[in-house]
Order: sequence, then structure tokens, then C-alpha cells
Amino acid sequence: MTTRNLGSGESKLETIISYILIIGVLISVVLEVIGIALFYATYGNLQISQDKSVFISGQNFFAFTLDQFQHLFGSQNALLFITLGLIILILTPYIRAITSAIYFAWEKHYKYVLITLFVIIVLTASLALH
Amino acid sequence: MLDIVTLLLMSIVVGLLGSLTGLGGASILIPIMVLLGIPVKEAVACGMVAIIATSSGAASSFVKERITNIKLAMYLEMFTIVGAIAGATITVIIAPIFLYFLFAAFLLTSFMKVRSSFKTYTPPEKQDRIAKWLGLEGSFYDESTDQVIKYKCTNSVLGGLGMFVAGLAAGMLGIGAGAFKVIVHEKVLKMPAKVSSATSTFIIGMTALAGVSVYLFSGLLNVTLMAPMAVGTTIGAVFGGRLLNKVRDRNLRILFLVIVTLLIIQMLYKGVTAL
Repeated sequence: MTTRNLGSGESKLETIISYILIIGVLISVVLEVIGIALFYATYGNLQISQDKSVFISGQNFFAFTLDQFQHLFGSQNALLFITLGLIILILTPYIRAITSAIYFAWEKHYKYVLITLFVIIVLTASLALH
Repeated sequence: MLDIVTLLLMSIVVGLLGSLTGLGGASILIPIMVLLGIPVKEAVACGMVAIIATSSGAASSFVKERITNIKLAMYLEMFTIVGAIAGATITVIIAPIFLYFLFAAFLLTSFMKVRSSFKTYTPPEKQDRIAKWLGLEGSFYDESTDQVIKYKCTNSVLGGLGMFVAGLAAGMLGIGAGAFKVIVHEKVLKMPAKVSSATSTFIIGMTALAGVSVYLFSGLLNVTLMAPMAVGTTIGAVFGGRLLNKVRDRNLRILFLVIVTLLIIQMLYKGVTAL
């Protein structure tokens, strides 16, 4: 097998992935900064809290995500924004893996489709079951 | 007591220092937080989240420059994510005292960083069967020598096992374990230094996600700790990445290692007094 890295092949995947990563991180950081600002506006201080409400709780990441997004509109809840930032951050590498799997399937690199699917399945199971 | 602004500023400095020295941020930020009275398990869980941010941010530009080997990364991620899920599960269960000692031991790997960046790359003579079958090879454009460098990987099974161990340590301690990963890449898999660090940065994000999948609902993820850590280390790493070609100061590395030494002593002290 010859090298493919510098050919036209993988370069498209690389461009897409590099955008997914940077956009995901940017959105997440912005949401968290908004969250911190709202935290200050709401509580009047920026103390690190040990209150029960500041700890993430739930069971299934995917159900948890839907639930959080439903509360988004019209909300000014500091903790919600920080949590959404966290969700976007978690989704960033996850979407990166799904994109890679689709790409490998498109390019008929079936060995790599399997490898990527293994990664996606393990992560999905761990996110859904904990 | 630590507040959000102080933690944010601290995270920026640590992120900057971590990316300038290539020795990682979370591995020193977590012991510093423990020193300031944050429970170790909470610091570990939040460190793991911060790593997704810094690693994805830093990996983006390496991927764009085609230095990261995405196929090789996918192969190695199979091992690191399983390791990270196992490691994080162990941390959730065990008593904090074990974490102090493990952290101290793992911080020692910061000293093991190999000086291989200046060596010219020689590919292995033979690839093993799996590496051949999967096509674990590639090429990249090396700006410093103005050459396209072709490389091949070998020892794919042993390399995979090494990555499992790296994932285990990363998941348990909430760190990237970058120094350890780079050693496995260069010494076992025979990757060139640049590809090794770019691919390792890329893998660290996915590994951290696997760890976070365990920590997320473990009741350890404090958002008032997580947000300033993630934002701060990311800002620090982005600036560090921009400065990287301008300042490459040996003194910074020495400073970092002095800090690491103090933190090792502190974690050991914490562990011994908790006995």
C-alpha cells in the first residue's frame, strides 16, 4: 500500500476535522464565559461553590443533552450555559469520530470504518450507560 | 479560598507554560488545586474536561497542516479510550489516598521527555503484519528541512498496549499523559517526532472524552471549577501555540520541572499525612 497522506485523499478529511475541532472549542468557551458572567450577575460573587446544584447530575448523556437544550430559550441560568458549554465540548471529539467514519466509508477504507465504529460504539455506550 | 477569577488566571498561566514546554497543563494544575484545598477527585474530573478543550484547540492547527496521521490516531484511540474508561472508573471507586501517590509517580514521566526533535528520522527496516495491513504509515512536509518525510510504523501490538496504559493513567489522573504517549510513539511505534506530538495531541482529546464519559454523572463534576479551568487552559494553550516558534526557552523547561518537583513532594506529603 502506498502512502496517501499527501494525496488529495485524506486532505479533505483533515480540513473538515480541523474546522470541527476549532469551532466546537470556540462555541464551548464562549458559552462558558457567558455562564461565568451570568454567575456573577446572579450571585454577586465568583466563589467556587460546593453546593449540590453546581455538580452535574443525570444518567444518560443523550437524554441529558436534549433536556438541557429544551431549557435554553429565554433562560438566563448561569449553570445552564456552563453545562451547555460542557455538552458542546463533549460533542466535539464525538462528532469528529462520526465524521471520520462517514468519510472512511465514502472513500471505501473499510478497515478504518470498522476501527472508527469501534471507537464510536464504546464512547456511545459509556456516555449512555453511566 | 480559591475563587473563579483566580482559578481562571492560574489556568491561563499553566496552559501557557504547558504548551510552551510541551509538558502539558492539567498535570500541574491538578496538584496545584489540591494544594489549594480542592478535593482531588473533583480536580481530576474537571481536569479531564479541560483537556478536551486544550487538546482539540491545539490539534486543529496540526491537522490542518497535515502533520497529524488521522488513520494512525484512530487505530491508537481504540486502545486509549478503553484504558481511559477503565482508569476513570477506578478513580471514582478508590480512596483518594491512592491518587496522591499515583499522581506523584506519574509526574516523574515529565522528566523522561526524550530529546529526539533534532535527530533525523530513520524508518524501521520492517513493518509488522498489522501495521502493514492497516497501512500505518504516511508522510509530512517538514518545514525546518524543506523536505517531505516518509515514515512507517511498526510494533503495532506493543504500541497499542502502551497506549492502553497511557489511556489508563490519563483517565485515572485527569491528565493528557502526553509525555508518556510521545515516548510510546517514538520508541515503540517508530513515529517521527513531529508526527508523534501532533498525533498525540489529537488522540488526547478523544481519550479525555472517554474519561469524561465516566466522570460526567459521577457527582464529581463541579461546573464552577470546570468552567474557569477549561476556559483558562484553552486561552493559555492558544497563546502558547502562537508564541511557540518565537520563545523556546530552556529556562522555561527548567522552571516547569522545578514546579513539577515541588508538586511531587506536595502530593507525597498529602498521601503520607492521609495514611
